[in-house]
Amino acid sequence: MVKLEVQLRTFKTIVEDTLLYTRTDEWIRVEDGKARVGITDYAQRMLRDIVGVELPKLGLKVSKGQAVAVIESIKATVEVYTPITGTIIEINERLRGEPELLNKDPYGNGWIFVVSIENRDEIKDLITPQEYILKIQQEKR
Amino acid sequence: MIRDLHLEYGASFGEFAGWEVPMVYTSTIEEHLTVRSDVGIFDISHMGRLKVSGPDATELFEVIYTKRVSKTKVGFMSGPTLALNPYARVKDDEMLYNINGEEWLLIPNAAVADHMMEYLRSMALSRSLKVEVEDLRDKYVMLAIQGPKTVEVMSRLGASWAENLKPLEFRVGEYVAGVKTFIVSRSGWTGEDGFEIIAEPKHGEIIFREAVKTGVKPVGIAARDTLRIEMGFVLGGHEYGEDPLKFPCALSLRYGMGAIDWSKKGFIGEEALRACRREGVRWIRVGLVMRKEAARIIPRHGYNIYLEDINIGWVTSGTYSPILERGIAQAYIDSRYALIGETVELEVRGSRYEARIVDFPFIKR
Repeated sequence: MVKLEVQLRTFKTIVEDTLLYTRTDEWIRVEDGKARVGITDYAQRMLRDIVGVELPKLGLKVSKGQAVAVIESIKATVEVYTPITGTIIEINERLRGEPELLNKDPYGNGWIFVVSIENRDEIKDLITPQEYILKIQQEKR
Repeated sequence: MIRDLHLEYGASFGEFAGWEVPMVYTSTIEEHLTVRSDVGIFDISHMGRLKVSGPDATELFEVIYTKRVSKTKVGFMSGPTLALNPYARVKDDEMLYNINGEEWLLIPNAAVADHMMEYLRSMALSRSLKVEVEDLRDKYVMLAIQGPKTVEVMSRLGASWAENLKPLEFRVGEYVAGVKTFIVSRSGWTGEDGFEIIAEPKHGEIIFREAVKTGVKPVGIAARDTLRIEMGFVLGGHEYGEDPLKFPCALSLRYGMGAIDWSKKGFIGEEALRACRREGVRWIRVGLVMRKEAARIIPRHGYNIYLEDINIGWVTSGTYSPILERGIAQAYIDSRYALIGETVELEVRGSRYEARIVDFPFIKR
């Protein structure tokens, strides 16, 4: 796993080069037949003080693009979308008591949920680390 | 605002009332706690700064404000007062600095500074009052040093004279950090001891830098909002506004602090305000604290409040209180249901969460 340090206009952010990404700032780690999902370092930096997380229910059937989790930060309330159609098979219970993990360790202990992969073609719609870096560089932060 | 300076200190910028402001430097929670327990410095240059001068200035104020501004002593601020429209809805809550009886400084809120400038001018013109209104926003910046350790900081900045200022007292032309200021007042919007400093941009930058060097933490406008919500202070566009369909009568604010002088006659909105007083208010501004199980739900502007199936009010401002470690809100609740200590429900994304009705401020000092 290589951490790519990206210099944006006013701060540096980390993009991990072994993950896939979405244009709505989620990261995805594909692990045999399932996808672990979280928000990027850039997303947590934009939100800053995260004080709460609402997690999806285990066993929930979800479709690609559906809002399945909610993050409360002082700045804003935002939804987290599943990039993959499938079933929610794991959720990160630790976040209920320690939502600040999303700020401190977005690619590690701050993961949010794991969804089973029904249709492998959807993986092709995810963007690469390089494409994600281009996207955030264009956001002029 | 001194943009490059804030960039140097790591600020993230955001938009507030049409102005670009430094929202946060490190973390809003950290910055908030610093102001409550230590001391922080804000750049609040987005606020209005209007110089109102002329022999008829106080006569104009008698027409516009709900308190007798003319009673303010030279060298003191008026304390908060309200400018109403004819429907007894609030245009702005403001403080006025009495510089010498014929020269005053007004601090309108950022969103209505242009409007207030035009309004004061047109009211003076229509009444043939000799009053001039000058916009000082480009000439001066405005800083606030706030927190229990503010006095020590002022002393470190060579301004130990400041500790002798009484609340709402100010001085003109004094020095802070070796540079001249326009006005330094003992005032602020955080509920803590503190000073507000108005100075030329180049001097403001020196004061900001020197303050940070002596250990004062830069604090962003996001923390200014969480601090004011925790104290129950009101903000235009949230707790008040001019539209009678969106905002209740000024009395519903329970503004307090002597903002309304009932012995005063002849101000704009008086008739409607007295009618509202006689009839009683339909809505009351109260505080809400999320119950422990819903501590991490942040009530946001516009969320609806329920008692069983009855929609009894709405949230005007909400945040997460770093002191209480709970979501808190200011809200309007139907006066028949606004019982301190009672539990109500907040509708958030289709679910209901319990909150308790409390009085202001949220934190006891």
